[in-house]
Amino acid sequence: MNNKVLLLLLLFSIIGCSEGFNVDLPFGGSESETTNLEIDNAFASTYTPMNSEPMLFKSANIYDGLGGEFLNYDLLLSGGKIIEVGESITAPGVMAIDATDKWITPGIIDIHSHMGVYSAPGVSTSSDGNEATSPVTAEVWAEHSLWTQDPQFALALKGGVTAFHVLPGSANLFGGRGATFKNVSQNTVQAMKFPGAPHSLKMACGENPKRVYGNRRQAPSTRMGNMAGYRSAWIEAVEYTDGMNKKKSDRKPTRDLAMDTLMGVLNGEILIQNHCYRAEEMAMMIELSKEFNYKITAFHHAVEAYKIADLLADEGICAALWADWWGFKHEAYDMVQANVAIIDQARNGTGCAIVHSDDAVGIQHLNQEAAKAMAAGNRAGFEISRAHAMRWITSNPAKAAGILDQTGSIEVGKDADIVLWTGNPFSVYSRAEKVLIDGALAFDMNNPKIQPITDFDLGIIKPQENRVQ
Amino acid sequence: MRRLFTTLALVFLTAPILSGTVLLKGGLVHSGNGGTATVQDILISENIIVDVGNNLIIDGNTRVIEVNGLPVTPGLISPMSNLGIVEINALDVTRDDESDLLSAGFSIFNAFNPHSTGIPWNRSNGITSAISTPSASSFPIFGLGSHFVLDGSLEIKGAKDIAMFGRLGSSYGSRAETLSLLESLLEIGELAKNKPVEEILEMTIADKLELQAQDIIALGKVINDDMPFVIETNRAVDILQALAMKEKYDLNLVLASVEEAPMVLTKLQESNTPVIIDPMDNIPNSFDELGSSLDLGRILDQAGIPIMFSTQRSHNYHLMRQGSGNAVAHGMSYETAIKGMTQTVAQTFNLDNRGSIEPGKLADIIVWDGDPLEPASFPKIVMIEGQLQDLSSRSSKLTERYTNTENKPSSYKH
Repeated sequence: MNNKVLLLLLLFSIIGCSEGFNVDLPFGGSESETTNLEIDNAFASTYTPMNSEPMLFKSANIYDGLGGEFLNYDLLLSGGKIIEVGESITAPGVMAIDATDKWITPGIIDIHSHMGVYSAPGVSTSSDGNEATSPVTAEVWAEHSLWTQDPQFALALKGGVTAFHVLPGSANLFGGRGATFKNVSQNTVQAMKFPGAPHSLKMACGENPKRVYGNRRQAPSTRMGNMAGYRSAWIEAVEYTDGMNKKKSDRKPTRDLAMDTLMGVLNGEILIQNHCYRAEEMAMMIELSKEFNYKITAFHHAVEAYKIADLLADEGICAALWADWWGFKHEAYDMVQANVAIIDQARNGTGCAIVHSDDAVGIQHLNQEAAKAMAAGNRAGFEISRAHAMRWITSNPAKAAGILDQTGSIEVGKDADIVLWTGNPFSVYSRAEKVLIDGALAFDMNNPKIQPITDFDLGIIKPQENRVQ
Repeated sequence: MRRLFTTLALVFLTAPILSGTVLLKGGLVHSGNGGTATVQDILISENIIVDVGNNLIIDGNTRVIEVNGLPVTPGLISPMSNLGIVEINALDVTRDDESDLLSAGFSIFNAFNPHSTGIPWNRSNGITSAISTPSASSFPIFGLGSHFVLDGSLEIKGAKDIAMFGRLGSSYGSRAETLSLLESLLEIGELAKNKPVEEILEMTIADKLELQAQDIIALGKVINDDMPFVIETNRAVDILQALAMKEKYDLNLVLASVEEAPMVLTKLQESNTPVIIDPMDNIPNSFDELGSSLDLGRILDQAGIPIMFSTQRSHNYHLMRQGSGNAVAHGMSYETAIKGMTQTVAQTFNLDNRGSIEPGKLADIIVWDGDPLEPASFPKIVMIEGQLQDLSSRSSKLTERYTNTENKPSSYKH
């Protein structure tokens, strides 16, 4: 791939395209006096697990996603849930799978994806991730852009990804709502939505908003302009929230989609996922969150997170990071490969580190990205085990997506979102052999019938064949 | 933390210029020529590998470095990078990879900055030299790449203008137009065989294509001097067009990206054309590369096609290790992967004195702390032309500052 094309792609994937269509948004058509509960139920998940049979994995090596390692253990799944993890489980009549010398991990979770909103092929008609028509577009929802037939979903599944969080791009100060999905083949968005998962609000610091709008000679064109933009929106949101809390319905403000989203954050129902690279800007965003009394769940990309690792640990904010991306823009210049490890080890190991992808290739190899981040941390003097590093791509992203009570670890009672690897997942040679979502086999590398093919893949090169075999 | 300091101390002790002879003793040597690795010693005198084998005879002045069975490879060579010519992609003022004036003859050689931060970073990750190229433009040929030794020296070592780079595929207009433009340019190269450049410059076609003297000279080299011409292309039918052009003009063709190559495998095989692939890119990013898959490396390897590796990750050209590791996970042979990062690049681009651990070659050598195809592995020793390299980088300096409280300026202590 050539470099300019590459750069465009990089910018495209990280910032997304700034040339969005000018769509007249159907702002607040109704003046209904809906409660917050009704607002939140709009476009609710209709996901139902695929049919599954009870399954018993015998003699597997297991990383539980919480730091535990269990060698030569059995794992029993039934009814879509994890039933038992033990040294010798017998379950008469249950399909047993010999997992000797293989590894089992929780399903991999990516907290930063644009699959479905920047679908492949990456053509202008599929560029649906940035509503770059105004710096504050808290009213848009990424799920309203999602294309269910994006071939990237199935590729991520082959990399062991069972759930992912789709965010709008970072052209705007407030990019809109993100949503979490189960990695299942469905042809409605709601049927993919992770049941009960909270929405997020994407915010973005730094170069992207100031470049996109500065180039149009409008605010923000500076980092201080960015801050003013956030603060103005939050001031309005606080007033709106106060208004919505009034008892008399005629005192309530007219319903506003953007304000609904910001109010959701102030009420603690919507999680802030904040694209932010530089240390002082992240510290500034923390101050902002205190000024308006909301919580930041995670900083994303955060190339300089290691510089304020203690601050992030103290504030209970996760950092979702690449293992080694850098140099594509100025705010991504101070990369250290130990970034993930430094975050993880901050304040006696209380930091919350996540390895994310933001990339349709990277999402397929998050296990390898974690391996690089772990090795770099250990070279920097830490002692981080593989079992521990597995948290960065399982339980920690689950926590940041607000779904840790359902998935992200191998614990009795949790959703049976499981990957069986051909070997140790920290090796480049290991591949996801079987991927289970809610106990149902969603992918099997040895069975072509259990390998999803999207509508897009059908007959697109040769009419007799699928795009990928 | 202690471990980091020990490592660094070692580097500083060994970093001063070495002279005389050095023996890298007992490494698992991947020579880069496609053979199986064996435990061997490597004897280096000044900048040259003088002997490889067991029980090599050395004199008392030879410095012996125990490698203890760790994997040893030739220094990796990136076949397509922006090293030394792009500091920060999104900052035009730090980029020297594009020209408004020149096309085919645009040379980035004199723009190379040996102090660019990407150089120590990639060097400490195992890249000892790289071909840097101009970036894609709307014109189908964007210029000439040069080879650079990544020792950071202001005395630029390398080879100037060793290959021409272009692309074929979807663009602003029709690919049919791109093809005919490419042909016109190659025809100008043909003309350069017999006509002086000044005369060609006077011609209407040269004027129409806004060609400068440098462009014409470069096109002449591709046609008449066997200079490698790298064309990035993906769609099966475009690959066939490129191969037809190779035949018609007797080009020393190299194809890059080639995501749909499996559909035209026999033709590719017959043409004996080396390829540069990114084995991890299985995304159908455009309608030109619908056939993209992780099986590409295996299929090309089994067909005996010479393979090299690129990576989509800007600034991290060393990640071709991870890419080739993934190719091996999907069936490419291990030896092809190592060779693809070393000897195949040297052979394709006529870097005759590099790319393998063999007597007579320049001593560009890496000792790894583990399997070089595992992304988690890292070099323990990087040697360029016989000199042990300092493994520090801006990144390692930042790591040091922020992993040790004593290193932090007081205002940075939390």
